[in-house]
Amino acid sequence: MGVMQPSALEQILITTKVEKVMNWSRATSVWPMTFGLACCAIEMMAAGAARFDFDRFGCGIFRATPRQADLMIVAGTVTYKMAPTIKLLYDQMPEPKWVIAMGSCATCGGPFDSYHTIQGVDKIIPVDVYIPGCPPRPESLFYGFMKLQDKIMSSSLADRYREIFEEVG
Amino acid sequence: MSDAPIPETTPETPSGPFVYDYTTAPNRQVVLPKTVPLPGYRTYVAEQKALVEAEEAKWQKQLADFDTAKAKAEAEGKDAPKAPVKAVAKKNDTDMVFPAPTEAKDPTLLHLVNGLGDKVEEAFEQAGELTCQVAKEHILEALRLCREDAQLKFEMLADETATHYPAAQGFAFSVVYHLTSIARKKRLRLRILVPEGFEPESATQVYPSANWMEREIWDMLGIRFANHPNMIRILCPEDWEGHALRKEYPVVGWGQRDIDFREDRGGMLNRIAMEKAGQLGINLKRPKAE
Repeated sequence: MGVMQPSALEQILITTKVEKVMNWSRATSVWPMTFGLACCAIEMMAAGAARFDFDRFGCGIFRATPRQADLMIVAGTVTYKMAPTIKLLYDQMPEPKWVIAMGSCATCGGPFDSYHTIQGVDKIIPVDVYIPGCPPRPESLFYGFMKLQDKIMSSSLADRYREIFEEVG
Repeated sequence: MSDAPIPETTPETPSGPFVYDYTTAPNRQVVLPKTVPLPGYRTYVAEQKALVEAEEAKWQKQLADFDTAKAKAEAEGKDAPKAPVKAVAKKNDTDMVFPAPTEAKDPTLLHLVNGLGDKVEEAFEQAGELTCQVAKEHILEALRLCREDAQLKFEMLADETATHYPAAQGFAFSVVYHLTSIARKKRLRLRILVPEGFEPESATQVYPSANWMEREIWDMLGIRFANHPNMIRILCPEDWEGHALRKEYPVVGWGQRDIDFREDRGGMLNRIAMEKAGQLGINLKRPKAE
C-alpha cells in the first residue's frame, strides 16, 4: 500500500459539520425587525444608514413584519401597554429567533422606576444580548450584534430538544 | 383627607399575579400632603388676617406676662423686669416670593363676573393671570359665555387639567380650563372644585378639543365627565386599575408592571429538563464555541 493521495474531489471540497454550516448561514443573514420604541430607535436607524452600515454584517434588511424576521432589536422603553404587543410579535416570528435588548430601558427599565414601565423586556420575552447605554452608540449595537453572532455560531441542534424538554417540564 | 376609595388590595398583602413587595421598600410608601395649596384671593386674605391676629395675640400675651411679672417683683421688693419690645417682622430678602393674589380689576374678568352673576364663587388676579372659580354645576354655561360673548371671545381651549387635593374639606379635585382668545390676545383660567364622585358637564359641547383632555383627566385622576362622547381611558390600557395622578397612588403602581409572561425565569424548567435528559442518556449541554 502506497501513500494515500487526496483525490481530485477532496481538493476542491471542504468538509464540515451540517450544524456549523447552518449556524454560519444563520449568523450572517440575520434579518432584524423594524421595532423602535423610543430614542434608541434613532441610534438603530443611524446604525442601519450609510455611515455605519449595518449591512456589513448581513443584517441590514429591516423587515416590517415579524414573519420575515429573525432578530428583534427592542430599542426603547417597554411600557405596560406595549408589553402584550411585544409578546405577540415575538410569538409571530419564525424559529430560530433572537432578541437584543438595546439600551438601559429595555434591559432594566432605565430611569423609569414608575408604574407604567416594565422593568426590563426580559420579563416578557427571552433576551439573548443586552446592550447598555442611554442610548447606545451604533458601535455598541454592532458589538452586541457580533456577540449575538458568536452565540449563534456556538448554538447546537440540541437546543431545540432543550426547548422541547422545557415545554414538557 | 377626602373620602377617596381605598384600593382593596392593601400594599402589605400583594395578591394575584402581582409580586411587588411594598413592605421591603419603605421609601416607596405614599406620603399624603397635609395642606391644601389651592390659591385663592379669599383664602389668602383670611391667611394674612389670621397671621396678623396671631402676632397681635402674641404681643398681648407678652404684655400681660410683663404686667404679672412686674406686680410680682413689686410685691417681693425686687427690681422691675425689663419691658418687652414688640418684634419687628424680618424683611423677606428671598427672590422666590409667591405672587400674592389680588382683587379682580381686569375688565375682561369683571365682564365675565357680571355675566355669570351668582354662579361665580371667586374671581381674582395673580401674577397677571386671570382666574375665575365658578360653581361646579354651571361650568358649561360659563364656558359657553366665554366662547360666545362678543367682549370675551375665547375661541380656544388651550388646556384642561385637574389636581388632586386629598387634604381639602368639601372637595377633592380642582379642574381648570385654560382659555385663550387669539383675537383679543387674552388668557383666562376657569376653575371648578369637584368632590369625589361628582361628574361635571363635559366641555366638548362647547370646545371639541376637550375630548382627549377629559379622557386624560378620567385616566389620570378618575373624574368622569357627563355627556362626553367617548369616556374611556387614553394613556393607560383600558383594564388598568387605579388613577395614577391621585396623591394616594404609589409611584411604582399597584404592581401592574410586574407582569411575567415567561414562566421559567428562575431556570427551574431548564434544570428539570437537563436532569431528565441525563436520565435518558441525552447530552443537552451546549458545545463550546470553536
